[in-house]
Amino acid sequence: MRVPYSWLMEYLKADLEPQELAQVLTMGGLEVEEIIDFRSEDGEFADTVLVTSVTSNRGDLLSMTGTARHAAALLGAEWKMPEIDMGLLGDPVSGQTEAANDQMRIELANPKACPRYSGLVMDELTVAESPDWLAYRLEAAGMRPLANLVDCTNYVMLELGQPLHGFDYNLLQDGHIIVRSATEGEQMLTLDQQWRTLGEQDLLIADAAGPAAIAGIMGGADTEMTWDTTKVLLESAHFDATTIRKTSLRIGLSSEANYRFERIVDPQGTLRALARVAGLLLETCGGTIVGEAVDVCAPDLTPLRVPLRVEKCNKILGTQIPAQQMQAHLTALGFEVEADGPDKFQVTVPGFRPDVEREIDLVEEVAIVHGYENIPSTVPGKLTQSGQLTRNQKLERRARQALRAAGLNETISYSMISRRDLDRMGYPQDAPERNMLPLASPVSEEETHMRTTLLPSLLEAAEHNQRQRVSSVRLYEIANVFYPRGQDELPEERLHAASLIMGPYWSSTWNLPEDTQSPDFYIIKGIVEQLIAALGVEGVSYQAAEHPSLHPGQCAAVILDDKQIGVIGELSREVQAEYDLEEPAYLFELELEPLMQQASQYAEYEHLPRYPAALRDIAVVLDDTPENTAGALGQVVMEAGGEYLSEVAVFDVFEDAEKLGEGKKQLAFNLTFRTPEGTLTDEQVDDLVAAIVSHLRKKLGAELRS
Amino acid sequence: MEFQDLMSQVQQQAEDAILAAQDLDTLEELRVKYLGRNGILRQQYKQIGSLPEEDRPLAGQALNKASNSLKKLFEGRKSALSEQAEQHKLQAEAIDVTLPGRTPQVGHQHPLLATLDEMIEIFLGLGFVVAEGPEVEDYYHSFEALNYPEYHPAMDEQDTFYVSDDVLLRSQTSTVQIRTMAKQKPPVRIIAPGRCYRRDTVDATHCHTFYQLEGLLVDEDITFADLKGTLEIFAHSMYGERCHVRFRPDFFPFTEPSAEIALTCTLCGGEGCRICSDSGYLEVGGSGQVDPNVLAGVGYDTEKYTGYAFGVGVERFAMLRHGIDDIRLFYSGDMRFLEQF
Ligand SMILES: [Zn+2]
Repeated sequence: MRVPYSWLMEYLKADLEPQELAQVLTMGGLEVEEIIDFRSEDGEFADTVLVTSVTSNRGDLLSMTGTARHAAALLGAEWKMPEIDMGLLGDPVSGQTEAANDQMRIELANPKACPRYSGLVMDELTVAESPDWLAYRLEAAGMRPLANLVDCTNYVMLELGQPLHGFDYNLLQDGHIIVRSATEGEQMLTLDQQWRTLGEQDLLIADAAGPAAIAGIMGGADTEMTWDTTKVLLESAHFDATTIRKTSLRIGLSSEANYRFERIVDPQGTLRALARVAGLLLETCGGTIVGEAVDVCAPDLTPLRVPLRVEKCNKILGTQIPAQQMQAHLTALGFEVEADGPDKFQVTVPGFRPDVEREIDLVEEVAIVHGYENIPSTVPGKLTQSGQLTRNQKLERRARQALRAAGLNETISYSMISRRDLDRMGYPQDAPERNMLPLASPVSEEETHMRTTLLPSLLEAAEHNQRQRVSSVRLYEIANVFYPRGQDELPEERLHAASLIMGPYWSSTWNLPEDTQSPDFYIIKGIVEQLIAALGVEGVSYQAAEHPSLHPGQCAAVILDDKQIGVIGELSREVQAEYDLEEPAYLFELELEPLMQQASQYAEYEHLPRYPAALRDIAVVLDDTPENTAGALGQVVMEAGGEYLSEVAVFDVFEDAEKLGEGKKQLAFNLTFRTPEGTLTDEQVDDLVAAIVSHLRKKLGAELRS
Repeated sequence: MEFQDLMSQVQQQAEDAILAAQDLDTLEELRVKYLGRNGILRQQYKQIGSLPEEDRPLAGQALNKASNSLKKLFEGRKSALSEQAEQHKLQAEAIDVTLPGRTPQVGHQHPLLATLDEMIEIFLGLGFVVAEGPEVEDYYHSFEALNYPEYHPAMDEQDTFYVSDDVLLRSQTSTVQIRTMAKQKPPVRIIAPGRCYRRDTVDATHCHTFYQLEGLLVDEDITFADLKGTLEIFAHSMYGERCHVRFRPDFFPFTEPSAEIALTCTLCGGEGCRICSDSGYLEVGGSGQVDPNVLAGVGYDTEKYTGYAFGVGVERFAMLRHGIDDIRLFYSGDMRFLEQF
């Protein structure tokens, strides 16, 4: 709210500069966001304006007097209300659901939504421009001055926080005000010349002919005050915050009035505001007050009494504030404090502080006036546990470290993608990844669903980097993906790790042979192997597989316990073209949870071998069929080698139709034999190799190549 | 010619040749020629037999002397030439040391996650354990259990991404408070780091995705002063003893009293600058004593237990630490950015 300094200081008896005041308010819970040097449009008036940011629980601070009261409490200074002649209201006619005088009848048909409605009729008013002092104040406070009649109601709203509304009396039928719920589909034309369709949850101010205003939000065009208005019915009412908010949200209409009603206006202040505006109108528009005020007020508006235990208050805050000081703090804020025994108070909550309902709320009030900066700093005692990451958090850190050690950079991307991303990646219509959680109100067309795979984000990053002429892209992300379950059920969140490499994998490649400069399938696979090794998981295997975005001949499924937990491969030509990538890209995506389940927290030490190993190389030629993979061959070799064969490592793969014959390939590997019992003799090793060779011949038809 | 004369002539020739030899191969040839099995000196030995008896000892002596002297000369020359050859070889092996090195690629940690990790370490040291909760949450854990009245203007500040009326993307990590307390009796001492979402339009200072670190401590006798003390330790660990933590009243439905947390502006050291709007402070999060309604909601005895909670944004810390001025960079996947940290 914009608070003109000179206006505020009319109520606050303190001698301090705007900047000092701003500092005090900010530290006292009313943040001053900005200090503006204001000059009126005509240049005749200057003031300093404090722009306050009022938290949504403190409707009482949305006025000059409320701000003054709070500042006074913080400063330990005096403040005063403006002089208001309550006698202008005569002896108000009151009632619990309805009341009337010879000018008006007020009826509360929905006392829950409108527990209080005070009205006053004035006549023989002269509508004109407001006097300068009033216009300048409104302008400084950010409201455009229009005409004295409406300006006075706005002025009182800013001064006291009570929104007021004026109806042209002659346009109301019989001066009869009914505060009621709208009927379903009821229509009205509001001040802004918009037709509004209302429903049972909306509250109306109506006369016998129909709606005259949407309660607490905006008046109707039919009863609007104009330059010709001479007689008005002034409304000063209290509306239920929730009712007003619901209507305002539903019809998308917001005003200074409903902003205040939503933050709860003092129900005890309706008559005071009415008297204040009557006085101002007499001063600025002339005219007379016709009869007395009418005040309809539901009976349950009695103030709340809340107990406060001094010791409890100090225990919560960690302070030793004496009882009298607490009493002084609360009294300064407008609470009535009575002693109830030596260590307890009964506190009566004023109507302008509906946010205070419990002891803890009073504790906060004490803390605010005491000053947060005056509360000591202590360290919580009683340490009962040591700080710890969970097992999975530790493993996630290990995974991140392993991927960085493999030269990949950590990246973070948005969790939201769109269907189009999956289209671009070639996912078929029935792909499980297409079953994504949709956002009800996304912020952009690119971010409409929660992602089920991290790959689209990495491809987008590759696209971005290429556009920036970055030649080497090496990225990984570890993040959740989301798989929907039932309607209104929370989705399954799976932690995935994914990576993309594109362009040179080594940092500096001068003079290195061309084919070692670019990444290939085996580099990205090697990274996956390294990640899995870092987690200490054994028994992962790789099988040729298919994936909509990957090269059909260069794609592997990562298998753990007969279940696919991930995929590795080269980006297919189609998707590469779709993303306009100049270089082939290699990707993997893995589910981390299954790996984490089997991960070993600590590596188990294996005794160092006491006897030297025997090393042999063999090369075999076999048919180049899809079944005769290096993996299959390795498995046969391991079977045949038995317990003495500790390692098999491929060192050469060779295909040459002329040398080997059509459809043949040669695989060469190192064999490492060892036994903890002793050194193996040449004869023993020869026998083992012979057994392996014969097994290979039998199982795969592989022939030894000498 | 006398044998001795002949000898000295041969010796002279050999010496000249050895000294003239410029490489090890030539030297070796000379060695074979003079000192080899069929070399000139060996030939001379054979001649001795044909000399008169009385001349033989002298001739033998002269021959031995010449032989020894030549051997010595050979050795000397050989080591000189070897040395020279080694020098040549090393010279030939010299490289351009200004060519770039072949560095093993080591990936970089994302600055946001690196900052978050450092924040986590501080709280681990203070005995907090790390708790987690889902990013996609229900209304109950996001708002109801956190004491948000359904139709309250406080909801405006949340600006939540909804999936349905009951399912939404969490707008703060405070949801983890409820999930943890529902499972565990006091004492509860947790931090909850994680991704949050708010319907912000993305620009240099706003993003719909952000990271938050939540803290919660519930036990007997936990005071607002403890909250201040804890966050001061945190701030000093992050930015040094000179960093002041400013607490000022604020409003959050799930804490009472509530406090905004601000730290001395790291750019101006509290003097006031453009970044901190001349206040000398930068707001980093919210905090307060856990509202009794929240504690009662998870079945805690609110007379016996009190607690504090706080939530700080990670982006702000990372931006200040590294001087990053555009929040979008964090989510760009731009290698030029990522490789700087
Ligand atoms: Zn600054």
